[in-house]
Amino acid sequence: MIAVLGLVVGVVAGLLVRPEVPAVVEPYLPIAVVAALDAVFGGLRAMLDGIFDDKVFVVSFLSNVVVAALIVFLGDKLGVGSQLSTGVVVVLGIRIFSNAAAIRRHVFRA
Amino acid sequence: MSDHEERPEHRLRRELPAEVPAAPEAESAAEPKPEAGLTGRRRLVQGLWPPRVSRAQLIVAVLLFGLGFGLAVQVASNSDSDSALRGARQEDLVRILDELDDRTQRLEDEKTGLEKQRQELQSSSDQAAEARRQTAEKERQLGILAGTVAAQGPGITMTVDDPKGTVQADMLLDAVQELRAAGAEAIQVNGVRVIAGTYLNDSGKGVSVDGNKITQPYVFRVIGKPQDLEPALNIPGGVVQTLEKEQATVTVQRSAKIIVDALRPAKQPDYARSSSQ
Repeated sequence: MIAVLGLVVGVVAGLLVRPEVPAVVEPYLPIAVVAALDAVFGGLRAMLDGIFDDKVFVVSFLSNVVVAALIVFLGDKLGVGSQLSTGVVVVLGIRIFSNAAAIRRHVFRA
Repeated sequence: MSDHEERPEHRLRRELPAEVPAAPEAESAAEPKPEAGLTGRRRLVQGLWPPRVSRAQLIVAVLLFGLGFGLAVQVASNSDSDSALRGARQEDLVRILDELDDRTQRLEDEKTGLEKQRQELQSSSDQAAEARRQTAEKERQLGILAGTVAAQGPGITMTVDDPKGTVQADMLLDAVQELRAAGAEAIQVNGVRVIAGTYLNDSGKGVSVDGNKITQPYVFRVIGKPQDLEPALNIPGGVVQTLEKEQATVTVQRSAKIIVDALRPAKQPDYARSSSQ
């Protein structure tokens, strides 16, 4: 419950504060958000599976974000930034879908 | 993965000793496969309600706060119209810039064409107005000559008193010719406008001008330069001397304002047509 509250408070704060995104992190923010979403879905699935662990969640969340940003950074340096971003988004999207399918099986048993 | 499976189970049991009923435990022991779904759902419900403050919840809340914050910031900055270009890549920006340049060029061309068109229309309407103005001016000038409009200006008044009736049409015609030669622009005699086609002839005791009989005294009202008209009449052997030889009295008077208001109707010629158009 507190976790859900944290999400809601974060969204509200982001909408209210509307901070200027620094130019340095600008290309990485969307990918980082998608990676974090992937980690959250994985954590939700683990919770439903009964194997949730906060340490694992924290590590996977942060490492997802960092690795995603790193890949985009590397892609930008190599000149294939857009393609790599697309690839990262596709992979994360597939993982989110599979996690969502597992969650759905748990919740709706279908 | 193996250590995960042990620990959450432990914690769940440890944190919720009272809320986990005994029955699911027994069921899960009996049938593991369907129990997994059931306990998953139950775990979700228990995680949501009632709210509990635990380390895991707080940590996840902090991370989710970061996620929600980043999500909202990204969505907000993406939906801002002015920052729509901020996330764009260099080649996209170059393409957009090219398109904008093309568009600017097209609009610039269109503007040039329209301005040219406007200028043409304006100059043509100016020309039409100028032509109308010139036509009106010419109409006035020709009207004065043809006697269809009244005229006023400096000039002279010549009065010929002829008590004995000796003045004849040719003498008045001489006077008119002399006035015209001296630059008279509009002439009327006793209320009859003298124009290009005016004729004078004798009729009884008087003279008729264009068929209108006039009697003495003959009053010429003439518009022209008075300094030219008066000497032209008074030259030795001129009009005044000739008339005085016939016992007539002639007085010439300069005036700054002579009004010639006798009019002629404008006549459409029956046969002659303008050849200019």
